[in-house]
Amino acid sequence: MSSSPTFLQYFLTLVVVLVAPLIGGILNGFDRKITSRLQSRIGPPLLQPFYDVFKLLQKKPMVLNRIQIMYAYLHLAFMILTIVILALGQDLLMALFIHAFSTIALVIGGMSVRSPYSRIGGQRQIMQMLAYEPVLVFLVIGIYRVVGMQSGTGSFLASQAMSLGQPLLIPLPLMFVSFFIAILIKLHKSPFDVSTSHHMHQELVKGVTLEYSGPFLALIEITHFYETFLLFALIACFWGTNLLVGAVLAAVCFFGMLVVDNACARLTPVWMVRFMWTVPMAMCLCNMVWFYL
Amino acid sequence: MTPLLLSLLVVAPVVFGALAWFLPDGKARKGVVAFSAIFMIALGIFTATQGAFHYELGSWAGPASLLLEAAIMALVLGIAVKVRSWPIGIMVIFQLVVAVAEHVMAHEGAEHGVLFILDPLSTILMLTVSVVGSVIVYYAIGYMDVHAHHAPPTNAGNGRFFFILIGFLGMMNGLVLADNLRWLTIFWEATTLCSFLLIGHDGTEIARANAKRALLINTFGACGMSLASFTAATAAVGATGTLTGITTAHLIIPMAFLCLAAFTKSAQLPFQSWLLGAMVAPTPVSALLHSATMVKAGSYLVLRLAPAFAGERFMVVVAVVGAFTFAVTSALAVSQSNAKKVLAYSTIGNLGLIVACAGIGTPLAYTAALMILCFHAISKGLLFLCVGTIEQQIGSRDIEDMGGILFKLPMTTTITMIGQASMLIPPFGMLMSKWLAMEASIQHPVMLVLVVLGAALTVFFWCKWLGRIQTASFHSHYTMEKLPTAMLVSVVILAVGVVGSALAILPLFHHVFVPVAAGAFKLSPSTLAPLNDVIGFVVWPVVITIVVALALTLLTRRKITEAHVSMPFLCGENVKGTESYLFRGPMEQTTEAWAGTFYFLSIFDETRITQWSNLVAGLLLLTLLGVIKVL
Repeated sequence: MSSSPTFLQYFLTLVVVLVAPLIGGILNGFDRKITSRLQSRIGPPLLQPFYDVFKLLQKKPMVLNRIQIMYAYLHLAFMILTIVILALGQDLLMALFIHAFSTIALVIGGMSVRSPYSRIGGQRQIMQMLAYEPVLVFLVIGIYRVVGMQSGTGSFLASQAMSLGQPLLIPLPLMFVSFFIAILIKLHKSPFDVSTSHHMHQELVKGVTLEYSGPFLALIEITHFYETFLLFALIACFWGTNLLVGAVLAAVCFFGMLVVDNACARLTPVWMVRFMWTVPMAMCLCNMVWFYL
Repeated sequence: MTPLLLSLLVVAPVVFGALAWFLPDGKARKGVVAFSAIFMIALGIFTATQGAFHYELGSWAGPASLLLEAAIMALVLGIAVKVRSWPIGIMVIFQLVVAVAEHVMAHEGAEHGVLFILDPLSTILMLTVSVVGSVIVYYAIGYMDVHAHHAPPTNAGNGRFFFILIGFLGMMNGLVLADNLRWLTIFWEATTLCSFLLIGHDGTEIARANAKRALLINTFGACGMSLASFTAATAAVGATGTLTGITTAHLIIPMAFLCLAAFTKSAQLPFQSWLLGAMVAPTPVSALLHSATMVKAGSYLVLRLAPAFAGERFMVVVAVVGAFTFAVTSALAVSQSNAKKVLAYSTIGNLGLIVACAGIGTPLAYTAALMILCFHAISKGLLFLCVGTIEQQIGSRDIEDMGGILFKLPMTTTITMIGQASMLIPPFGMLMSKWLAMEASIQHPVMLVLVVLGAALTVFFWCKWLGRIQTASFHSHYTMEKLPTAMLVSVVILAVGVVGSALAILPLFHHVFVPVAAGAFKLSPSTLAPLNDVIGFVVWPVVITIVVALALTLLTRRKITEAHVSMPFLCGENVKGTESYLFRGPMEQTTEAWAGTFYFLSIFDETRITQWSNLVAGLLLLTLLGVIKVL
């Protein structure tokens, strides 16, 4: 319980922090490749996301004001911190709060410029948080219950979830489905790509990231790599007892996400919040009731 | 030593206040106010270092308290006549009848007992009142100077204002330390009177109406207090009319009445309307009485009594009332663009969270409640003061008007950002305590759902506001605004307090809050271990991350000059040749690009939500009375 990590844990954490963006970037490459094939296009090379980032890093910085720079850094820094906290096996709920602040930084960065599209995107991003954040909290608490936290004292460490007798998916099937939907929102996939989108010619333009360019946009892209890695690593943890099965689970979910993304059109932000606060939330609560009965 | 300290804590502010009232407007009065602020901070810290004490006044205390109570009731009755309010009058008379009945029917010895207690719990609130409260009083020197110039001619004058504001600190100290129910009622009523007079300070029609409503609702709460005192004194032979007596004899009925009184003071649903109305008062009043200290009295009372009743069925109802208040007020805050109203709703929500934690009744929940009690006072006091400054500088308290203040008021805006960030980022005290509250609420599914939904909505309205005040175009140089020294210094002190408490969160947690909770629940060191383990590791990585991100920002920022500035994307319709935010609109008209903020007035409809949630909260209160078998 006492929470001072060993040297080995620090070392492994460092490895994870270095490797995560590579895996996340490749996942994004796959994303673009598979999406292109689903749309009968050839698509960019697998490593295109990395080429994009390198090119962006070399560009001359362009800004609307100087405040937005701070938020690009905070966005990346808190995402890395989330991964560090999780890799060191610290409290899950705190990791979630830190992760939430990473998104908040993006929102405020987008809202701090006097650009209408960016502001609208930023506020829609908050609505996305409003939509998925409760689901994530319930998921964390579901995991708490599975691990069987002792009566109200002491926090729950992420490392405990990895050493369970049975995979998390078995006691938390409905939460898993809700989590999958939350991932669609987190990664801006249709029908939930309300705050930013990958295509310029729409009512939203580029939304919250519109006024970021050059090296600062690169920071946001790198954060995106980290986040993709983080979310699918968490999916893999649902079968943490055998990470090979977990990896297959993550791959299936990844492909499922792309199918949903390509099969759906964007819906309105209010619809998204209503949907999330009813269907996935009800599923979470159903799943949770099992533990309190 | 003890009697001297006690009388200094309670009487000194009143004396200073009276002095400030009679001195002419100008340097002399400002000097007295500033001195009393410094004196109260020093006195508070000195008292805290003296350690716990119990104190019993002499035999004159009984008649004296009766006399004081009668005087206050006569005062309230006079006000009731003046504002022509039948309900207030009837309730005061009811209180008088109950007090007389209590005097006649009380068991032998019921009126004795320890009168004042300074234990670790009351030390925490006493310190908060003395330090944060005095800083706010100091701020008021600058604020009221400006306020006097554009206040309506009906206002009651700065002299009376400072008398009540400083005197309030004494009443609040008395309230925190009182253990005897009669003395508690006296101070409780006295703070209500302070609140009434200060809300009505401007003397406008709306100020008077809102002051009246505050008095009405708090008098209703005081009736609950009287009934608590009555039922405690007549409950059983040997029971005393003290808070300690209620907890040791485990008297549920007085406890429930005290909870009712606490709900009105802490503006829990369905009693929230008076606190929202109280926002018409000058901002130092909102900061001091209606956010940092006085409204804490209610949740403090619940906290004081809760450990003895932990696990009772009716404590679950208490917790649900608190959690429900938190969820509903967070939703209502989303639809508000009035900055003070957002702060008011958020205050009510946090008080609800304290009540919820007290109701959950585990040591962890209790620790979380203590932390909110303390850190909320600092953060929210700071935010109120910032809004006060902003309002005086830009002439509006509407969040939508706060775009661009980063350039006009760089210092105030930066400090406001720190205050708001303290609600959102670890390791700031408010976020850490919210996190602990969430961990603690896992025990009760209903509370958990309410707290989680409330927390998500909280993020929503803070983000919107934070985004708005930072909206700015590019400026190569910022010049610091000129503010009255008192306003600037006090805001900086509180900001340093917010950041300092964030850095010192681990020692504060281990050496201040956990021992208090351990004392309240009589935990032994071995059962304490898991509680101490809760926040171990996270703080320093977060601090390092923030420092690194800020350092990188500063490095990059230096290289950004006007050559790097571009204009926003406006679909290629930017007006050429101007470095502005204009675009060519329909019919070739030049229009300025501007996007408002989402408020979702139709979804978070204040009137409708308030009606329904008041109904639900009213039913919850009936349940409370049902559970203790009064109905």
